Amino acid sequence: MMELLQTIEQTGQGLLGPLWLPLWTLIKIVVVVAPIMGSVAYLTLAERKILGFMQVRPGPNRVGYWGLLQPLADGIKLLLKEIIIPSSSNKFLFISAPVLALAPALAAWAVVPFGDGMQVSNLNAGLLYILAMTSLGVYGIIIAGWASNSKYAFLGALRSAAQIVSYELAMGFALVSVLLVAQSMNLGDIVRGQQGNYGLFGWYFIPLFPVFVVYFIAGVAETNRAPFDLAEDEATIVAGFHTEYSGMGFALFFLAEYANMILIAALASVMFLGGWLNPFHGWPVLGGLTDWVPGLLWMLGKMSVMLFLFLWFRATFPRYRYDQLMRLGWKVFIPLTLVWVVVIAAWMQTPFWLW
Amino acid sequence: MTETLVFYLFAAMTVLAALRVITARNPVQAALFLVLAFCSMAGIWLLLEAEFLAMTLILVYVGAVMVLFLFVVMMLDIDLEQLREGFWRWFPFGILLAAVMVGEMFWVLGNRLTAESGLSTVVQHAADYSNTKELGRLIYTDYVYPFELAAVLLLIAIVAAIALTLRRRKGTKTQVVSQQIAVKREDRVRLVSMPAESKIGSAKKQER
Amino acid sequence: MKKIVSFFKSFLLLELLKGMSVTGRYFFAPHITVQYPDEKTPQGFRFRGLHAQRRYENGEERCIGCKLCEAVCPALAIHIEVAEREDGTRRTTRYDIDLMKCIFCGFCEESCPVDAIVETRIYEYHGEKRGDLYYTKPMLLAVGDKYEEQIAKDRAADAKYR
Repeated sequence: MMELLQTIEQTGQGLLGPLWLPLWTLIKIVVVVAPIMGSVAYLTLAERKILGFMQVRPGPNRVGYWGLLQPLADGIKLLLKEIIIPSSSNKFLFISAPVLALAPALAAWAVVPFGDGMQVSNLNAGLLYILAMTSLGVYGIIIAGWASNSKYAFLGALRSAAQIVSYELAMGFALVSVLLVAQSMNLGDIVRGQQGNYGLFGWYFIPLFPVFVVYFIAGVAETNRAPFDLAEDEATIVAGFHTEYSGMGFALFFLAEYANMILIAALASVMFLGGWLNPFHGWPVLGGLTDWVPGLLWMLGKMSVMLFLFLWFRATFPRYRYDQLMRLGWKVFIPLTLVWVVVIAAWMQTPFWLW
Repeated sequence: MTETLVFYLFAAMTVLAALRVITARNPVQAALFLVLAFCSMAGIWLLLEAEFLAMTLILVYVGAVMVLFLFVVMMLDIDLEQLREGFWRWFPFGILLAAVMVGEMFWVLGNRLTAESGLSTVVQHAADYSNTKELGRLIYTDYVYPFELAAVLLLIAIVAAIALTLRRRKGTKTQVVSQQIAVKREDRVRLVSMPAESKIGSAKKQER
Repeated sequence: MKKIVSFFKSFLLLELLKGMSVTGRYFFAPHITVQYPDEKTPQGFRFRGLHAQRRYENGEERCIGCKLCEAVCPALAIHIEVAEREDGTRRTTRYDIDLMKCIFCGFCEESCPVDAIVETRIYEYHGEKRGDLYYTKPMLLAVGDKYEEQIAKDRAADAKYR
C-alpha cells in the first residue's frame, strides 16, 4: 500500500513538477472530505434510527430498504428548497455564515490520523491546530445569529457563543493533560505513545479517565448536541441561530454540526482510545487473532462507538438549564481538569507511572 | 518565490482588514474585520515557522477574545450619527496620538530596520525542528521570571475584575444551583404502596 | 457523611449511567409501531368516521328533514333545508355536512329518529382543494349506497347494547 503511494507520488512528481504538490494535496483532501460528507449523511440516518429504536419505534424505513436512501432524499429536498433571505438581514454575512460554520469543521480534519501516517498534513502542533479550528466554528453561529436580524436567532447565537467559549477552556485543559502524558502535540505521536504490549491497557484513557469523561462531555457541549443543545432549544427560542435559514443554508449548518460530532469522536479515539491501535495487541490469544485487522478499521470502530454515545446521550438526557450548564463548565469541569493536570504531572515523576 | 507571493497576499489582507476596522461604519463589521486581520497575521507567522504563536493567536484572540468582543458589540444599541459627531473635534488629538505611537515604534525597531541583518532573512530549520518546544524551553528557563511575573499580573487582573464587578445587592432572589442539583428523589417524593382496588364493602364504608 | 457520599456518587455519574441503561435496554426492545398503510389497527363497530346518508331497502331515502341533527350538532357543521316533495312527504332539499367543522362526536347519529345519518368506518378520505370536504346530500347518499352492507352490519352489532 505504502509502496504504491510512493510510486504514484514519484511519477506525479516527474510528470507535473512543482504543480504536483498542490494537486496531490487536493487529492488527499478529497479523499478525506468525501467520506466525511458521506458519513455525515449516514450519521443523520443512524441518529434517527437509534433514537427510534430507543423510543420503541423503527425510525425512518420508507425510503429505500431499511430507510437507507433517507439521507439522499433529505439532501435532495434541502437542495431544491428555496433559500429565503430575510429582507432586513445583512445579506453578505447571512450567506457566508453557514460557510464559516462548515469550513473550520472540515479544516480540522487535516491533521486527524486515520492510520499510521494516514493524514493530510503531519503538523507538529496538530493539537493546537485542532483547538484553533474548532474555536473558529463559533463564528458561523454568531454571525448567523446576528445577520438574520431576528430575536430568536440572536439569542441562540449568544447562548451558543458563551457555551462554546466556556467549554473550550475545559476541553483545552483536558488536552493539556493529554499532551503532558504524550509529550507531543503531533496527533500521530500521541497515538504512537499509546502503543505497547498490553493492548488497551496502554491507552491514555486509563490514567486520564476523569479527563476523558470531561473531554467527551465538553465535546458534546461544544457541538451543541443534546443535552447541551441550548442554542437550538426549540421550546424557548424556536430553532436558535438557524431560525431564519432554509434550504441549503440550513443544510450547511446541519453538516457542520455532524462533521464536528465526528471530529470530536475521532479526537477522543486518537487521544484517549489509541487511534488506529489494536486494543488486543500483545494479548495471549485475542492479540494473535486480531492483529491482521487494518488500523483504519480500528479507528473507524472507535469513532463509531463514540458517535453511538453521542446519540445515546441524546436519547437519554433532558436538556440542561442554561445557568446549570455554565456552572457545570466553569465550576466543575475546569477545576477538575486543572486538578488532574497537577495530579498527572506529579504522578509522572513517580515510579508508578506505567504509560 | 511562492513564499514571497503568499507573504504579500497575507500582508495586503492584514493591512486592508486593519483599515476596514477603523473605517467600517458598523461596529460588528469592524470586529469581524479585526478577526480577519488576526487570521492573516497568523498566516504571516506561519510563514515565519512560528506555528505555535500562529495557532495561539487564532485560539486565544480569534477563538475567545474576539468572540466576547462580538458578544458585547452585537448587544449594543449604537446610534451611528451620535458616534460620528465628535470626529473632527478629536481629530487633531488622534493624529497626535498616532504620530507618537509611530515615533515610539521607530525608536524601538529603528536600529534593526537600519541594520538590515535580522529582518530580511528567515532562518530555515530542519523538518523535525519544533517551534513549540523551543518556545517552551525559553519561557521556562531563560525567561522564567518575566513569564511568571506576567502570569501573576494576569491573575491579579482576573481577581480585580471579579472584585470590581461582583457586588451583592440586597433583596435579589437567586437560585443555588448546587443545592438544586443535589436534590434526590428521596428528598421530594415519598412512594406509598397502596392497594389499587379495595373491596366493595370497605369502599361503601368510606362513602358514608 | 451523607453529603460526602452523594458528592462522590454524583462524580461517578451513577444516575446518568442508570438513565442510559434504561434507554440502552429499550434499544433492544421490540418496536410497537404499526406500519400504517401496510398494517392497520383493529376498528370497533362503533367507529365514527365519514358520514353517510342511508336509504331504505326500496331505495327511498330515510331522512325526513326533522333537523334534530342540525340542532344537536355542537360544531354547527350541518346545514339543512326542507321542502315538501310532489308526493306530499317532507324531504330535505339540502343536507350539507362541513367535515372541516365536524368533530365526529356522533350526536347526529344518536339524535336521528330514522337512522338516516350515520358515521361509517371510513377514515381514509381527503380533499385536494378547498371545499372538497364540504359534503352535500348526493355525496352523503353515495357514501351510504356504497357502504350500506357494512353500515347495516355495524348497526346490527350495536343494536343489543341500546
